Amino acid sequence: SPSLPQAIMQGENISKPVLQVINTRAIATGNGPPRYRVLMSDGVNTLSSFMLATQLNTLVEEERLSAQCICQINRYIVNSLKDGRRVVILMDLNVLKTADQVGGNIGNPVPYNEGQGQQRSSVPAANPAPSKPQQQNGNLSGAGPAAPKYHAPSNQFGKASVPSSVKTPGGSQAKVVPIASLNPYQSKWTICARVTQKGQIRTWSNSRGEGKLFSVELVDESGEIRATAFNDQADKFFPLIELNKVYYFTKGNLKTANKQYTAVKNDYEITFTNETSVVPCDDAQHLPSVQFEFVSISDLENTPKDSIVDVIGICKSYEDVTKITVKANNREVSKRNVHLMDTSGKLVTATLWGNEAEQFDGSRQPVVAIKGARVSDFGGRSLSVLSSSTVVINPDSPEAFKLRGWYEFDSEGQLLECASISDVRGGPASGANTNWKTLFEAKSENLGQGDKADYFSCVGTIVHLRKENCMYQACPSQDCNKKVIDQQNGLYRCEKCDREFPNFKYRMMLLVTIADCLEYQWVTCFQESAEFILGQNATFLGELKEKNEQAFEEVFQNANFNTYEFRIRVKLETYNDESRIKATALDVKPVNYREYSKRLIASIRRNAQLG
Amino acid sequence: MGDVHELPRPRIAIFFLAQYIGQPVCFVGRVEKIHPTGKLFVLSDGEGKHTTVELSEPLDEEISGVLEVVGRVTNQATIMCMSYVQFREDKSPFDLELYNEALKIIHEFPEYFPFG
Repeated sequence: SPSLPQAIMQGENISKPVLQVINTRAIATGNGPPRYRVLMSDGVNTLSSFMLATQLNTLVEEERLSAQCICQINRYIVNSLKDGRRVVILMDLNVLKTADQVGGNIGNPVPYNEGQGQQRSSVPAANPAPSKPQQQNGNLSGAGPAAPKYHAPSNQFGKASVPSSVKTPGGSQAKVVPIASLNPYQSKWTICARVTQKGQIRTWSNSRGEGKLFSVELVDESGEIRATAFNDQADKFFPLIELNKVYYFTKGNLKTANKQYTAVKNDYEITFTNETSVVPCDDAQHLPSVQFEFVSISDLENTPKDSIVDVIGICKSYEDVTKITVKANNREVSKRNVHLMDTSGKLVTATLWGNEAEQFDGSRQPVVAIKGARVSDFGGRSLSVLSSSTVVINPDSPEAFKLRGWYEFDSEGQLLECASISDVRGGPASGANTNWKTLFEAKSENLGQGDKADYFSCVGTIVHLRKENCMYQACPSQDCNKKVIDQQNGLYRCEKCDREFPNFKYRMMLLVTIADCLEYQWVTCFQESAEFILGQNATFLGELKEKNEQAFEEVFQNANFNTYEFRIRVKLETYNDESRIKATALDVKPVNYREYSKRLIASIRRNAQLG
Repeated sequence: MGDVHELPRPRIAIFFLAQYIGQPVCFVGRVEKIHPTGKLFVLSDGEGKHTTVELSEPLDEEISGVLEVVGRVTNQATIMCMSYVQFREDKSPFDLELYNEALKIIHEFPEYFPFG
């Protein structure tokens, strides 16, 4: 039977061949990782047309793969160069025996002559020897005739490499070049790349006209690049191009990248033209799939807002999809909050939009990985999925398996009382998430000046309370708080209930000034908040006011200069042509110093990072 | 060594002990062990590291929980205690780890947290 190297070269699918490494050589690739070229032997022949895929570089660097070790190739592909030579790329291998365990070259292998190509060594042609497994430490199978001297330029697979030929379906030979070599001065090129991100179709309409586009991010072994299809090409390619699949992309325009819109590391980006062709590629295991760099959810607390991060977590719970109207263009958009938890025990809320929100299925608590989510400071820290983000449910990756294993089998996983960094509670009175601001931020961010009220929480110190008119006489009915009119005959009339009563109840409407390190704010506190601040209930205060002025004053003096956590609602209110921001305290609580400290520490660290 | 109370005494964690030899400091830690003579006890800080605190007079009461010690750092990087205060943890527990985090910030930004 033919030699192993020959069989591999000729494209036969040998399953898991076992070969010995005779030599390894590093090849410089400019500014990329080094590529290692390996001289392999099956005991009879050597062949040097083996290249190690870069993901296996560590094997050489850690010296597990070195001259004389024996390894089993689990996955490989054969690339043909334009001059007809072939190269075997080793994608995955196991080192069966390390070099020191083997001790020497097995057999006396001679270089294999492929029979075509420039240099032939003078070796007799096909001499089919029976494949006698050499019974030594490893099982090297296959024997065969001699091989050609494989002559390769030193930067064979570097960045500026000689392109390799690939037969595209349809028979025409196209030159496949690495993404890293694309530049605007080359018009005819083909790349073989995986789609690691696919955006939604976006339409625009402005004075210059209207149109639509969608963008993708493409990755191959040499790098990544962004590609955009407009109008007709958008229509043509959007249904064809699928996330995570590999295609041959031929001919498009290259122009300098607009780094504003993307984090992709490439100086250029592709625009599809009407000459562009996109053809599915089957032989694609060698291309890296979507690369994630996950940040642990607890680390998000220290991540500056607006950063783009990758996260992975178990979807512990999720909310229903809701539709909200975008004020800017009156469009309705779907939105869904999902809550992700990881092994740090922290929970973060991620907001999905559009189709992703609608189609999300969180049943059975899937693992959700998000690439390129934006960190916001809403409720502390939460994530927003952008049109440029990628969301993968139950990804086929080691981190996902680890997470699922931890969640299901590690007793910690399900019982862990996760602390949410997005501060989602089971429904505070205002129904909104906690959104910590300093008074300065509240003012500088113009909270309350939009159409709707804004809510935020802050830590503030009371510096003044207005004693006068701090309470009013209200309707004594249970659910009515309307101010009653004193009929001066011992009766009090409530317009809302349309009744007269012989009594009333005192209700608080206390105006306080609260301050923090930079700003102050007048806040109106109603019954519960006011009673909390003054430490007395309204009825008792009403009595004090009538009967014991001094005691009444003392209550206010004691309430001054205390620090609390305030939940505040701000809204622009117009009163007789005058618009003013009105702030109301919805809730007043003692300061939780531990949480406050943690927030401060995180804030200090964030600001320090920003320099 | 009564002057210790007159001088500024920075708050430190065990990590900083070596840098403050001979100087007055304020150390907060949890009681781990008390020597039978009552003149020595071991405190741990928020990172779990331990240090020894010495007294000139033996303790005249039981101590436990979190303690704040004011004293001077000896050449052996222990603390010669001049006075101490026990933190009452019945109302709320003292988060020693958070205290350590705060200490790191104080020492990292001395321009905002000057010591005296």
